[in-house]
Amino acid sequence: MKRPAAGSREATKNSNSDRADGAVVSLQEVVFSRSGRAILSGLTLHAEHGRITAIMGGSGSGKTTILNLIGGRIRPDSGKVIVDGQSVPDLDTDALFALRKRMALLFQTGALFTDLTVFENVAFPIREHTRLPEEILRTVVLMKLETVGLRGARDLMPSELSGGMARRVALARAIAFEPMIIMYDEPFTGLDPISKGVIAKLIKELNQTLGITSIVVSHDVAETCLISDYAYIVGAGRIIGEGDPKTLQRSKSEHVRQFMEGLPDGPVPYQHPAGDYMQDLMAPRAK
Amino acid sequence: MNLIRDLGAGVIESVERLGRASVFFYEVIAGAGPLFRRFFLITQQIYAIGVLTLLIIMVSGLFVGMVLGLQGYNTLVRFGAEDSLGLLVALSLVRELGPVVTALLFAGRAGSALTAEIGLMKATEQLAGMEMMAVNPLTRVIAPRLIGGIVAMPLLAALFSAVGVLGGHVVGVGLLGVDAGSFWSQMQGGVDFYDDIVNGVIKSFAFGVTVTWIAVFEGYDAVPTSEGVASATNRTVVYSSLAVLALDFVLTALTLGEV
Repeated sequence: MKRPAAGSREATKNSNSDRADGAVVSLQEVVFSRSGRAILSGLTLHAEHGRITAIMGGSGSGKTTILNLIGGRIRPDSGKVIVDGQSVPDLDTDALFALRKRMALLFQTGALFTDLTVFENVAFPIREHTRLPEEILRTVVLMKLETVGLRGARDLMPSELSGGMARRVALARAIAFEPMIIMYDEPFTGLDPISKGVIAKLIKELNQTLGITSIVVSHDVAETCLISDYAYIVGAGRIIGEGDPKTLQRSKSEHVRQFMEGLPDGPVPYQHPAGDYMQDLMAPRAK
Repeated sequence: MNLIRDLGAGVIESVERLGRASVFFYEVIAGAGPLFRRFFLITQQIYAIGVLTLLIIMVSGLFVGMVLGLQGYNTLVRFGAEDSLGLLVALSLVRELGPVVTALLFAGRAGSALTAEIGLMKATEQLAGMEMMAVNPLTRVIAPRLIGGIVAMPLLAALFSAVGVLGGHVVGVGLLGVDAGSFWSQMQGGVDFYDDIVNGVIKSFAFGVTVTWIAVFEGYDAVPTSEGVASATNRTVVYSSLAVLALDFVLTALTLGEV
């Protein structure tokens, strides 16, 4: 089948229907607004099993909102949010919590508990949901910490960790139950190049070794394109481009090019909407 | 017109917040059942809220008792009734000053700390992280703190009163020469267990519920920014203090049955 050019409307329609079949996570025509402001307006995307799906877009484009919708933290105004065949907005609290045990969200800040050590942070979900003997729990936690290379940091407090280390600990905690889906919210933001590389390697390795579905939300084009199998670009509350990262980088779409090349002006204007500049300057102060 | 509009908006917002706070309280209490199988979560909070507040409570109680001893002696001695100093100090502390001053100090020390802690947990996405781990923060974080505060408050008030009585004794008997036998016997004869002590305990329990409820709700409802947490902490101290003073009047009127 001849694949339409990425970024075009036709491309979006066809590839969406192709990808919807094997999707673990599926958002269909989702509309979401907050305080009267539209955040998502008819967004459709799918994340396939065992693959890394990237969602890229500028700040405030609604990327994190997408993760919150998938995690059931917020409900859409309309549209469908399907995870593993279940309609997330229709789940009651018990069913939602049962689903959340099979998914993990890695927050931008790591969201580690500041009063617990690294060891206790990773042990937290296991202690909450199981009654494992202390010896087995210790083994499980050390294995998870070894996976992210921080077994030696188990007695440190979160305040003693660097940004990259904190995110690795959060990742160890996220895989404590070997979830079906891991969502990463801006995993590369504020990290040095080495830490970025480490996190990217961990996302790729975990995806391969655990066979999980990964969704990476990021505005870090280089790192995200390096590890993702398929990428969506979000702008103005909808998908403005999609495809495998290489195709996206060759896209002719102005929206896609502006984002991928980091151009300051383009379809997304440099100026925030405002009235006439001269009129504004000359207007009386009281006005 | 703007004034009326703003007033109306303020009233609607206040009623709406009160409604949310009531639903929040119900959800916390209704979901607290499993906590009793993990009692250490509550004892940890009794330590953090109660034991760590002991120093300020005991020092304050000592000085309040000493001032009561001094002021009481100066008044009673005019009528030749200085032997009743023990009774005056004890009744003042057990019925009023113990529960009220403890609640005000409790709001300033433990209440503000609770709000700031929960607000910061919200701002740093720790509560959201917990939700995503299928752990209900109302059960895991809020309920132990609420129960811890409710348990700690009457105990702190009792200690405040006990230390206050000792302070009154130090000043009255030790410095001003009131007879020690009269001090204790007047107190023993005049303080009624049900009318005075039990009513004081009821008051301190009611203050404990009110202050801790306000503190945990403000933290949970805080805008997740530095400014939002600071405002929430501020509101906890102001609302708790006002609520304690107003509630004190209502409870006193009810227990005395004179209004």
